[in-house]
Amino acid sequence: MGNSSSVKQEFLRKWITGFRKYSSQKKNMSMVERKKAIKLSADIAMASTRNETTRWSQALIANASRDSNNKVLTENILESSTQHSEKVVRKNLMNLSSPLCSKRVRSRKVLRRSRSMIHKSSKERLMASSIAKKLNVQKRTQRLKNLLPGGEFMDDVSLVEETLDYIESLRAQVEVMRCLVTASELFINPS
Amino acid sequence: MWQSLSSSSPIEIQPIMNHYPSKETQDCFYKLDKSNDQNLQFDSSALSSMVSSPAASNSNISSDNFVIRELIGKLGNIGGTSYNDQISLHSQSYANNNSTNTSCYSTPLSSPPKINNNNSSNNNHLVKPMMGLNSSTVAEFLADPGFAERAAKFSCFGSRSFNDRTTQLGLKNNAELPQRSTLLMENGKLSRVSSTPSLKVLGIGSQMGIHDNKNSPMEVGTSQEESTISEQTLNGDNGVIKTSSYMNSRKRKGSSKGKAKETSTLINHAMGLSLHGGEASEDSNVKRYKANDGNEIGTLKEEKESKEGASNGVDEKQNKSNSKPAEPPKDYIHVRARRGQATDSHSLAERVRREKISERMKLLQDLVPGCNKVTGKALMLDEIINYVQSLQRQVEFLSMKLATVNTRLDFNIESLISKDVYQSNDSLAHSIFPLDSSAQGFYGQQQPQNSAIYGTLSHSSVDPLDTTTLCQNIAMQLPSLHGFIEGAPQCPIAFSEEDLQTIVQMGFGQTSNRKSPQSQSFNGSNQVHEN
Repeated sequence: MGNSSSVKQEFLRKWITGFRKYSSQKKNMSMVERKKAIKLSADIAMASTRNETTRWSQALIANASRDSNNKVLTENILESSTQHSEKVVRKNLMNLSSPLCSKRVRSRKVLRRSRSMIHKSSKERLMASSIAKKLNVQKRTQRLKNLLPGGEFMDDVSLVEETLDYIESLRAQVEVMRCLVTASELFINPS
Repeated sequence: MWQSLSSSSPIEIQPIMNHYPSKETQDCFYKLDKSNDQNLQFDSSALSSMVSSPAASNSNISSDNFVIRELIGKLGNIGGTSYNDQISLHSQSYANNNSTNTSCYSTPLSSPPKINNNNSSNNNHLVKPMMGLNSSTVAEFLADPGFAERAAKFSCFGSRSFNDRTTQLGLKNNAELPQRSTLLMENGKLSRVSSTPSLKVLGIGSQMGIHDNKNSPMEVGTSQEESTISEQTLNGDNGVIKTSSYMNSRKRKGSSKGKAKETSTLINHAMGLSLHGGEASEDSNVKRYKANDGNEIGTLKEEKESKEGASNGVDEKQNKSNSKPAEPPKDYIHVRARRGQATDSHSLAERVRREKISERMKLLQDLVPGCNKVTGKALMLDEIINYVQSLQRQVEFLSMKLATVNTRLDFNIESLISKDVYQSNDSLAHSIFPLDSSAQGFYGQQQPQNSAIYGTLSHSSVDPLDTTTLCQNIAMQLPSLHGFIEGAPQCPIAFSEEDLQTIVQMGFGQTSNRKSPQSQSFNGSNQVHEN
């Protein structure tokens, strides 16, 4: 975490510049709109700071840019960071759209198979507790996959890795945002 | 380069061996040949090292270990085959080509053979480390005083021949050395045949072609290497070397007759080199060639035949043994099944995967608060999920809050950010104080930190109200922020300050409308910082 400060800084820069561009394009936003824009811009900025290395960030950017409304925002943020990032986004889109679908199918197959295996073993061994445990773990990994952007397409090993990275970056993001909020609040309502 | 050299070395050695087997009758020669082979390898390595270290250009042997190694390698080469070739090349410039060639050859044989043997023994050690890329053996060589002396002697020899060549060829630049070394490598790899055609193309006589079939490429390669080495190391000695080379060549003549085979091969090489150099001394080469022809032809044939001899096999084996340690151990995951565990590949792979996951889970445990107390994967996953969810909700909540704050302020984010997200902290903090007394309470806590951290920066910011307004360069300030954050041990604090300042500035931008003079002063203070 030695580079956390630099990561945070980059995140803040991207976030604010991206949001500024976005808001300049779209004025008179409602509260909800603004909140969405802020959150999305923060997410994307965080993802773009981690873009090259992690899958969750790629998936997040891809998901965001899939939405037509958000596309402008994502592009703005990514433009602000670097020019080639746009290419990266497109590449990610390409990568995520086609091969991930097949992966999804595969993973379902695997799931089905593993469930049937468990079923068999349960019949054979009648070890209900272990099976319950396994099912519990499976359920939870599934939930975790749903939480993580792009988590549906990850295997267990990469899921844990990505979760590690995602948690770290989320923490940084939360820290930065909290600082901003507290600062702005203090400024507005000095006690 | 290293790998390529090492890989190529066995190939090179073979051709060399081919040359020398014919000399098997002469024991001393044989030894020399072996040493030469090893030396060749060594030279390649030494050359690479030379290329890497420009300091090697100094003639001082003691100055660089690398130089010594190179010299040793050169010496070995000189004693062996390439030395003669180089001499012959030089001799082209001189009127007495043939005599010089033979003489050169003889001299090294007469005086240096012992040295060569020693070198060979040393070289063996060297070659191995070189193969393995270990410098420790080199250090050992350096440690030996005898080596330095030998190297000096050899260097003289090499310098004589090599300096002349280098001067003739016009290859004085160090930058050319790497190219040559690469060329040498290529030659060694490509086999003699490939190199010979090029020589022919260059305008080498038919005789050259005949001679060159196998010998020339190798020799050329070696000679090039030597020349490069000599250039680097022996530049200072050129004049002396030339004179000495004449002397040596004459002395050697007598001894070289028996070794005419080598000389002839060397001559062939020299011919190739001269042709490459574009020298007009083809006639001289031909003459040399003719003089040596009787010896050469017989010897060459013998050599070719003997290439496949037992001696070659032995050398090759040696080379192989040397090269073997250089190969890195193969990477494979070592998994061992405990008692009662399945040993088939699938279950082993599954076990490896599970181990990986558990490793990462441990890391996650450290990262997620409250996860340490929990045991069991399911519960741990629960904790992780909860944590991730809470973080995501926090982001949501904070963004909501920000949105509300912004709306209430009705601030223009654009203006705020453009103003300066990255204005220096001090200016903001100081500026805010005069504006809002209430803000002091907020900043009171952080100001000491700011001042401490920004100590240097703060000086200008205190007074700067008088300074004129200037445009702020965000780029300028960013580096300072980076430096600041790096310097500050507490990342969150630094960051929060930054954020606060940015926000403050945002607020300030709004307020500045009312109090324009102060805002100007702030800007000015910022600029002072930047400058």
